[in-house]
Amino acid sequence: MSNLVPLTIDLLLAAVILLVFVTDLILPADEKRGLGALAAVGVAVVLGATFLVQPGGEAFGGAFVLDAVGLYLKRIFLAAGLLGLLLSIDHSDKRYPTRQGEYYLLMLFSLLGMCLLSGARELILLAVSFELMGIPLYVLAAMAKNPDGKNTEAALKLFLVGATSTVIGLWGLSFIYGATGTTQIAAIAAAESTPLLRLGMVATMAGWAFKLGIVPFHMWVPDTYEGAPTPFVGFLSVAPKAAGFAAFIRLFMGGLLGFHGSWGTLLLVLAGVTMILGNLIAVPQNNVKRLLAGSGIGHMGIMMLSFAIGTAEGLAMLLFYLAAYVFTNMGAFAVQTVLGDRYGSDDIDMYRGLAQRAPGLALAMLIFLLSLGGIPFVAGFWAKLYVFVAAWQQGQWLLVILGASMAVLGLFYYLRVARAMYIEPPAEGAQQGEPMALPARLALLAAVIGVVGMGVYPRPFVDSALEAARGLLGLL
Amino acid sequence: MSNVPILSLVVWAPFFTALVLLVLPQRSGNAVRLVSVTGAGISLLGSILVAVGYDRDVGGFQFREFVPVVPSMGINYNLGVDGWGVSLLLLTGIIIFAGCWATWSLKHRHKEYYVLLLALVTGVFGVFASIDLFVFFLFYELAVLPMYLLIGIWGSTKKIADKGPFAFAYRMLGVGGKEYAAMKLTLMLLLGSAFILAGVLTLYWAGGGTSFSMEDLGRVDLDPSVQWWIFPALWLGFGTLGGVFPFHTWSPDGHASAPTATSMLHAGVLMKLGAYGVIRVGMVLLPEGAQDWAFIVGCVAVINVFYGALSAMSQTDLKYIVAYSSVSHMGIVMLGAATLTVDGWNGAVYQMFAHGIMTGLFFALVGLVYEKAHNREIFQMGGFGRVMPGVAVFFTLACLSSLGMPGTAGFVAEFLVFLGAFQAHPWWAVFGILGAWITAVYVLRATRAIFWGPGPVERYADLTDAGGPEWVALVGLGICLVLFGCYPGLVLDNIDATTVVYLERIVDSVVVGVSP
Repeated sequence: MSNLVPLTIDLLLAAVILLVFVTDLILPADEKRGLGALAAVGVAVVLGATFLVQPGGEAFGGAFVLDAVGLYLKRIFLAAGLLGLLLSIDHSDKRYPTRQGEYYLLMLFSLLGMCLLSGARELILLAVSFELMGIPLYVLAAMAKNPDGKNTEAALKLFLVGATSTVIGLWGLSFIYGATGTTQIAAIAAAESTPLLRLGMVATMAGWAFKLGIVPFHMWVPDTYEGAPTPFVGFLSVAPKAAGFAAFIRLFMGGLLGFHGSWGTLLLVLAGVTMILGNLIAVPQNNVKRLLAGSGIGHMGIMMLSFAIGTAEGLAMLLFYLAAYVFTNMGAFAVQTVLGDRYGSDDIDMYRGLAQRAPGLALAMLIFLLSLGGIPFVAGFWAKLYVFVAAWQQGQWLLVILGASMAVLGLFYYLRVARAMYIEPPAEGAQQGEPMALPARLALLAAVIGVVGMGVYPRPFVDSALEAARGLLGLL
Repeated sequence: MSNVPILSLVVWAPFFTALVLLVLPQRSGNAVRLVSVTGAGISLLGSILVAVGYDRDVGGFQFREFVPVVPSMGINYNLGVDGWGVSLLLLTGIIIFAGCWATWSLKHRHKEYYVLLLALVTGVFGVFASIDLFVFFLFYELAVLPMYLLIGIWGSTKKIADKGPFAFAYRMLGVGGKEYAAMKLTLMLLLGSAFILAGVLTLYWAGGGTSFSMEDLGRVDLDPSVQWWIFPALWLGFGTLGGVFPFHTWSPDGHASAPTATSMLHAGVLMKLGAYGVIRVGMVLLPEGAQDWAFIVGCVAVINVFYGALSAMSQTDLKYIVAYSSVSHMGIVMLGAATLTVDGWNGAVYQMFAHGIMTGLFFALVGLVYEKAHNREIFQMGGFGRVMPGVAVFFTLACLSSLGMPGTAGFVAEFLVFLGAFQAHPWWAVFGILGAWITAVYVLRATRAIFWGPGPVERYADLTDAGGPEWVALVGLGICLVLFGCYPGLVLDNIDATTVVYLERIVDSVVVGVSP
């Protein structure tokens, strides 16, 4: 019997899934609202448990490990999942009341996939948990069933792209196996660099880059974001990206760091192109979800830069960036959920005069926008700064300058939203105040606290990220 | 001194005032104004106490406060002021206090206005009081950002006909609109701060990567080739805010669109942040870099003075005239800095002080005139001296200071700068004085056209003079202008004590090339 202690968190999450599943069976069809709360409380408990367990130990003969990096990533996933669930409660109760059970279960399964992924040190476990994370997302994207068909388009795009990328990724993994003769990532590190291995790396990168939305594999992002249910998009924009990076970290940092010369440059170039294109996509958008999609692609570029430099600092700053991004982006999507549910539109005009209609909500959105833009005193500033510092130290000053200029360009479109909120007057006949359900309020509050807290006192996050990254690379 | 953290008090008083304002009910008109004025008053009082209490015989940084923030990286909440900081803190205190009074009559969303204004001024105070460069940078950003909303919400739009070859671009960008001005200002200044951040971080690593303190960094002997690279980054980064040609173009649009107190604060104090940064961080910490680049900095400054003055002369919109005159006067600051002489530097810092008060008064008056006449075209107005004699007197006073009339603060500053310029490169002084002469042309023309000519025409016949609270701003600034013109020593002695120490670093670090 294998030692299951390192799997504590994952098993706890699985227990939550079973609990939600059973409750779903018991509850009558028109009283499913409590399910969301149950799932959220469950995830909150699991998130709390991550602070009680000690990193260390492995299961299944080294295929699964609970180390500091894995724990840090798990916290990111669970925090994103918690915020996503809180946002969904009111939304799904209104939009698809009878199918809420499926919605929460799928979200939890995806979350479970991510948690397993963060500890996978073996190619097959990596691939399986990657799919456990990915497949529920396809269904979730189709939940809303909007009459305009955008929803179906969103789901289909996500599905087709996702399926293709899975195939490409598996193809790459099979080459890596073929070249090294092992599925244990630790053993791959000892392999020699052959053309087959390099081909495998490139194919794997391409397959996973689809999930991250790295250019040139980004086309699905704006359409999917536009069509899918907003609270889910918030989750989709953060957690699966973090999971994609988790896979990258496990394989490329954990096993293939010795071949950094063959994959580093390629990813750096992609990072640069992604930064440029993502921001350019966002500039002309009038749909806030599409705008956030473009900005998200841009952010992926910066994170990829941090990853691709291949140092412990870069990896740590990626982890920090992901944590900051969870609060920031989920926060922005929280505001979008509240407004989108109320007005049934994602147009930027919806934000007109928000500062006068609902000053608190507008201030929260402003904080998120500033954080996305990388302005001091909020989380996004430190995230960008640390990444740029790490990249600069590796001599990537060209990409740093590019990233900084793109950050300024990014401010242009973030400020467009700020302009609508603060400068433009409210539309004729607009009502005062924006009613918000309690769970959404909680999510918003948590996101604001996270963004401002990380902005004012980033140290604990940075220190633990650095410790985790150094631990993974054996530098401690 | 006693243990009262007086600098923190000065810096954070506006911020906490802003927090108090946030909890006040939306419609409490005078309560908001009174609370704001009180907060600004506390800062002013504190900055006066600092100015009086600064011991110039001891020199160096005084009123120290030290709280470690990230000790491992050498980032500390490290406050302290030298003779320059003392003077600029005082300036900021005066301007924000006057600014709160000058916008007393603002009605539209006035609570948010004061909140943003006070947040902004917290950043300004913070920059002048910081020794730690990283904290300096954070405050700097805090000072830059609220401008977007201040201009965007309360600014004014100047209609520009979209004709000619660039009509398409004008329509696309909304040139002339307040949103355009706000966006242009924000993006240009943030790009500038990206340069500053790069410069500051490189400076930090080049200095050993252990401390962000300006004192520690000043003791390190940096490789001249590194300095050669860092200096232009800081010069252009800070210079964008300081209105250095050709990165000044945000300033006329921004200042012309901004509401009164914002223009006062921005032209009066914020642009000084840029110039202060160039001198205090760029030149003092990078002596060899400053030596290498001084000639170019000076030449660009001459362009600033001259070109800014010419641009102002070609304008007929009152706010644009004053805004371009700021570009021209900031050129005088940079010219003084580039001379690397005691007189030039004293003049540069004094010019920051004098121009701050003068331009604050200017924008307060322009705001008043616009608010009453709803017009900024100088040739459509006339004879306002008959209906608003008080405004006319103070406007003339500001003009005289602007053109460097003896007895006003502007004279002392320009005289010192040109004295320094003459020691460094005489032709700089020639062009600088020519620029000052053009200044005389356009400010006198504007004064004559608005206040002293025939008129007023019928529709302006029943305009009223400034009222109640606005007098506080006008009289206060007017008195300062004359006071510091007649007794420059009040401020100049503090400045001088610091200048000599800093300049010795540059002169010592270079063997030849500086005229005595």
